[in-house]
Amino acid sequence: MSRAGPPLPPAAGGNGGSPPADSSVGRDRRSHLAERAADRGEGAAGARTPLSLDEARRRLRELGYLNGGVERFVFRRAFAGRGGLFLPAILLGAFAAAVASLAAVETAEAGFGDSATAVLALLVHLFLADLVAAALLALALLFIADRSRSPAGAATAAGLCAAGLAFFLWIGGAYGLSHDIPARALLWGAPVGLAALLAARSVRSGFLARAYAHSRVLPSRRRPRVFFAAAVAGILLAVAIFTSRARPSPAPPPLPSPRGSAVAVVAVDGLALDSAAADGLSGVRELLATGATGWWPATQASPPEVWTDLATGEPASRHAVRALARVRPRGSPLGLRPPLGTAWYLRRLGPALRLVSSAPVSASDRRSLAFWEVAASAGLPSVAVGWWASGPWPGVEVVGNEEVLAGASDGISADRRAIDALRLRRRGGPQVATVYLPGLDILRGDPAGSERRRQAIEQVHRFLEDEVSRAVAGEETLVVLAGDSHAAPFSLGRMVVFDGRQPVKTLRIRPEDVAPSILARAGVPVAADLPGRPVAALFRPGGLEGGTVATYGPRVAPVGSRAAATDREYLEKLKSLGYLR
Amino acid sequence: MLHAASLVLDDLPSMDNARRRRGRPALHLVHGIATAELAAVALIARAFELVAQAPRTPAGTRAQIVEELSRAIGSEGCCAGQAADLAADPSSLTLEDLEAIHSRKTGALFVAAVRGGALAGGAREQTLEALTLYARNLGLAFQITDDLLDLSGDPERMGKDTRRDAHRANFATLFGEGPSRRLVEELLEASLAALAPLGKKAAVLADLARVVRDRKR
Repeated sequence: MSRAGPPLPPAAGGNGGSPPADSSVGRDRRSHLAERAADRGEGAAGARTPLSLDEARRRLRELGYLNGGVERFVFRRAFAGRGGLFLPAILLGAFAAAVASLAAVETAEAGFGDSATAVLALLVHLFLADLVAAALLALALLFIADRSRSPAGAATAAGLCAAGLAFFLWIGGAYGLSHDIPARALLWGAPVGLAALLAARSVRSGFLARAYAHSRVLPSRRRPRVFFAAAVAGILLAVAIFTSRARPSPAPPPLPSPRGSAVAVVAVDGLALDSAAADGLSGVRELLATGATGWWPATQASPPEVWTDLATGEPASRHAVRALARVRPRGSPLGLRPPLGTAWYLRRLGPALRLVSSAPVSASDRRSLAFWEVAASAGLPSVAVGWWASGPWPGVEVVGNEEVLAGASDGISADRRAIDALRLRRRGGPQVATVYLPGLDILRGDPAGSERRRQAIEQVHRFLEDEVSRAVAGEETLVVLAGDSHAAPFSLGRMVVFDGRQPVKTLRIRPEDVAPSILARAGVPVAADLPGRPVAALFRPGGLEGGTVATYGPRVAPVGSRAAATDREYLEKLKSLGYLR
Repeated sequence: MLHAASLVLDDLPSMDNARRRRGRPALHLVHGIATAELAAVALIARAFELVAQAPRTPAGTRAQIVEELSRAIGSEGCCAGQAADLAADPSSLTLEDLEAIHSRKTGALFVAAVRGGALAGGAREQTLEALTLYARNLGLAFQITDDLLDLSGDPERMGKDTRRDAHRANFATLFGEGPSRRLVEELLEASLAALAPLGKKAAVLADLARVVRDRKR
């Protein structure tokens, strides 16, 4: 009779095949087992002592019954030596990580979740990235599993680590990306928890299968609730952490004081007054020396970050503007900050896979109000020209950075466009008017004394002279912000104030004092939750508003859907002007 | 039919010499030994005839089913198990010996029945493997339950003689009654676990396992 088919089920100890129960192998083993039993003087029927339940279980498992057989079936691929059950663990682990990262992004980026296409694109993209990481972790687990003497505990620990990693990506990602976490973030608890649970179970199964293939040791009992308890604990942890960062309710707009003055703020990037090669700046230096100067040690960061620090009075961890470019999933109306650990992948490989593209910095990135927006919210008409990450805001005439740069061929024309735009919009008599001049920063690559650089400095000098004249005449208070986002070591940032005829003075301040000082001079009460404070010593005595409000609240603006073509042009312009490579 | 044939043969004086089956006198007591033997052979032949004539079943599949059934009742199945049972010395039987006897006498038919149906349905190898595990665990659970009923069951309700195996080695005497019941539960759990990958398609088989657990006769 042929034995080609699989007649009786497999007995323990095989390698994934199904030897007949009465095959010579099976018969030999039974004889062997019987001999062993006989040697021990146990197991025989009749008047012998009954077998213990544990012993009966063990011996039946050896014969392929109970879970011995079932687990053989479940772990079949692993028994075949391929470690195949790690594939589900890798897939589910990557999926859990992608869901967790997606949850963090969606929590931090208001409006991102409105686009299903964007959510799906980012999920797929993160999943592909996480596959690599999950595969590497699986390799490590294979190594450990092959050497594990106590696979049950180690497998459970591995599963818990997988679940913990998913929760870390979610909670840590949301914490890192968002200063104020909205309550809706907790809705992600269910999908993240479920994904973490699945990943944990598959990792445990894969680990056990791999370990069993070597040790033939299986856990004596199941622990079905461990991972469930871990998932619940992770969600509770998220509730605790997210609640501690709950988004405050919108603050009422501050009311301006009648003591406020019209304020003009001129921000000049690349004005490296401390540089050894600053000879061409002597005129500007002398002009600014006639004002009251507050200084701070300059730091190196991207231009948007440096200048948004000054504009908002908050650090980048709160206002969220850091890089010149972000990643934008296909279909998303806005760019995103890459979640934990995915920045390199998303920026370098993402565009190649066509699931994401680069998006230039925009107003929707900013989470804190700039001083001109606070002033406008307080009812003071404002004008803002050329600032990074600026965009439409009620009560503000805004000319964005991209608009200024769009028609500029170099730093000179960029400054000229910004100055012209300010002069054009200033005719309505805004209470707060500000302009950001990028020209000197754009020309930083030019050698000192070059013709272009000389022209740019001269243009800035003339403009500042006009502004200072207006301030000295009492028409307005002038604040000149001189800084360099590509600052050399030991260089300084400066806030030079011209507030009527004030004695010349110099004192150290903090960059976060700039925005509160401007607002207080405009008559707007300063928010108590800002890290900086108005520097009264730099202004006319009694000229600053002394009142405070609790907070200005976060910047919650409707998501602007800038056309992708506009973004591309902006990115190209940033490249042509030397901001991006 | 194969099961019925095996019961007829099992009740013969040369085998278990049973007097009652399914609440009625054993076949050989009513019609004689020769007729009982012939009836058993006829039942076996009819069973194979039906398989050979199975409509809408490919010839290759029918051949596979015939092979399964042949193995289950032949020298690797019931016949081998019965021979081992008859030759066994109850005082020296080990668990492994008992398993070897019962996996052939009982388990083999369980396995053949389930695999035959699955083959007819075009099941893949993975499904066959799962069903084999199911049938194997279920068969042993059935046998241990049978041993327990033989010890404590009501002959009227069971429709056959009881305490006939008291002098023979069986699982109930090997483990004791309580542990045996526990083992039955665990074997049934294992059989149900083997069905898990098949989902709702295996609901009938899962119900069958529960019938074995609840059986009183």
